[in-house]
Amino acid sequence: MKREPLLLLLGPVAFLAALFVLPVAQVLVLAFDGGDGGPGLAQFARLFADAYHPLVAWRTIRLALLTTLATAALGIPLAYVMHRSGGWVRAALTVVIVLPLMTSVVIRTFGWLVILGRGGLLARMLEPLDLVGRNFSLMHTEAGIVIAMTQVLLPFMALTVLAAISRVDRSLEEAARTMGAGLWQTLRLVVLPLARPGIVSGSLLVFALAASSFVTPMLVGGVRLPVLAGAVYQQVTGTLDWPFAAAQATLLLVLALLVILPYARLGRARGA
Amino acid sequence: MRKHVLAASFVLLAGGDALAQAELVINSFGGAYEKRHRELVIEPFEKANNAKVTVVTVYSADMVAQLRAQKAAPRFDVVHLSGGLEATAAAEGLLAPIRPDQLSNHADLYPFAVANLAKGEGPAYSAAVVGMLYDANKAKPAPTSWLDIANPAYGGHLVLTDLSNNWGLLSFLMINKVAGGTLDNIAPGLDVVKKTLKGATIVSKSPEIQQAFAQSDAWVAPYAQDYAFTLTQAGLPVKFMQPKEGAVFSPITVNLVAGRPNSALALKFIDFSLRAEASAGWAESFRYAPVNRKAQLSPAAKEGVLSGEEAMKNLVTFDPIKIGQMRGAWTEQWNRAIAK
Repeated sequence: MKREPLLLLLGPVAFLAALFVLPVAQVLVLAFDGGDGGPGLAQFARLFADAYHPLVAWRTIRLALLTTLATAALGIPLAYVMHRSGGWVRAALTVVIVLPLMTSVVIRTFGWLVILGRGGLLARMLEPLDLVGRNFSLMHTEAGIVIAMTQVLLPFMALTVLAAISRVDRSLEEAARTMGAGLWQTLRLVVLPLARPGIVSGSLLVFALAASSFVTPMLVGGVRLPVLAGAVYQQVTGTLDWPFAAAQATLLLVLALLVILPYARLGRARGA
Repeated sequence: MRKHVLAASFVLLAGGDALAQAELVINSFGGAYEKRHRELVIEPFEKANNAKVTVVTVYSADMVAQLRAQKAAPRFDVVHLSGGLEATAAAEGLLAPIRPDQLSNHADLYPFAVANLAKGEGPAYSAAVVGMLYDANKAKPAPTSWLDIANPAYGGHLVLTDLSNNWGLLSFLMINKVAGGTLDNIAPGLDVVKKTLKGATIVSKSPEIQQAFAQSDAWVAPYAQDYAFTLTQAGLPVKFMQPKEGAVFSPITVNLVAGRPNSALALKFIDFSLRAEASAGWAESFRYAPVNRKAQLSPAAKEGVLSGEEAMKNLVTFDPIKIGQMRGAWTEQWNRAIAK
């Protein structure tokens, strides 16, 4: 490698080392605190002593996967429509997607509290249709968490996929259509495979953000549906049990990597 | 924050010189509370004693941390503490003990306010009381016992508060006590809570309780007396009641810092904080329980706060030092019990 790129790397590497690698290393050291002054697995033994913490971990991963699927189901068609439409439609859609990013996640989640709660917008729309009973509420439910997280994270999926789809040569689509492929066939056989790297990185981004998110699950899900990041937050700020919080954070990191690494490889191998 | 720093540096400048003889440095809790504190106690005291009182906004936990750091040369004369931190501060020798004969108001105080003088803690000048809030129009009959949280008459309309919230913790400890548990065994309390879970909403912050009463058809919630007042002011038909097994109180204390030169004036200030007028003022403005028997309450305040010999005798408290030690373990057991 030439010297100039190395110099350019110096800044980001120093930044990452100081603010990411070191803290993560510290968390790892803390997680392997044996409780007796030396290193040990005491924290992890506590984590796996019964089904409670593994179930919290499973909920975290399950909700993150569902959120990823939902953002993909909504984000990919959205990105394609944006790609195909020109002028003000595209501009309007971009604004609609990007605008929520300008608002804090706390504010956006509060919006959902109003919509999902008992007597909220959703309940008032569904009750007259006899679709739901009195006192219907999606607050404090997993469905509510997934709905709110999907809205919060949709821009990451849509924008990443849009970038990939925009790079697909329009003439390839036209060629497919000329040779008799319908719209669905063109999408399935030409556009989606070529946009795969974008879909993969969008999914990874959304999954990682969803798995580590705690504001939305805490506000919408409440205290009875704990997720790992929320449990870490409670340990760090409430009960001040930092070694145990570090062990939970390590578990979250390992689980996320277990999902992310094979998926990222798959994306690269198939996309190439 | 800036104000805080400014005030702290002012304290630094003022400390230690001859001027300090006629001056007291105290903390208060900021906002509307501090404003009322000035009106009820601080300004009348300055006038009556021709003294200057410097008020620094410091919350209890920070206050104890500062006292600890300043142990060799404390810069506060009088500190106001809540949440049981006076017990911690007294145990660490940061406070100077006060004798009953040093307080002219002592004879007028309810016993609960001066229960811990012998342990070196200052007297309570008001108290937050935790009992039960209920919707007077819907919760019929009105609840009478802590165990009414499991009363089927309120099924689906109960709000419980998470243990991460101090009032939630005190309510739960009381439910546990009534159910036969102790601070070393919270299983009986958890069993009662588990029975209610099907229709209960569990919240972690005060505004969620307001939301539950206003929008989600909540009828009954164990919580603090002063918050019932907040709900009443918001126009909700919410009343506070003392369960027959007693309500829990969390004292707000005024303490004498050890190792300060002008403790005579500081003691005067502490005594001044306990006057019937101040006691009544806290009850009128925030619905904190009065500590002084002679406090004259308006009819509205009388209905909203516990007062009188009988009610005060029925107040229960839990050892704050034990709470500090057990909190983590309790939270863990509680989280397991309530998780879906």
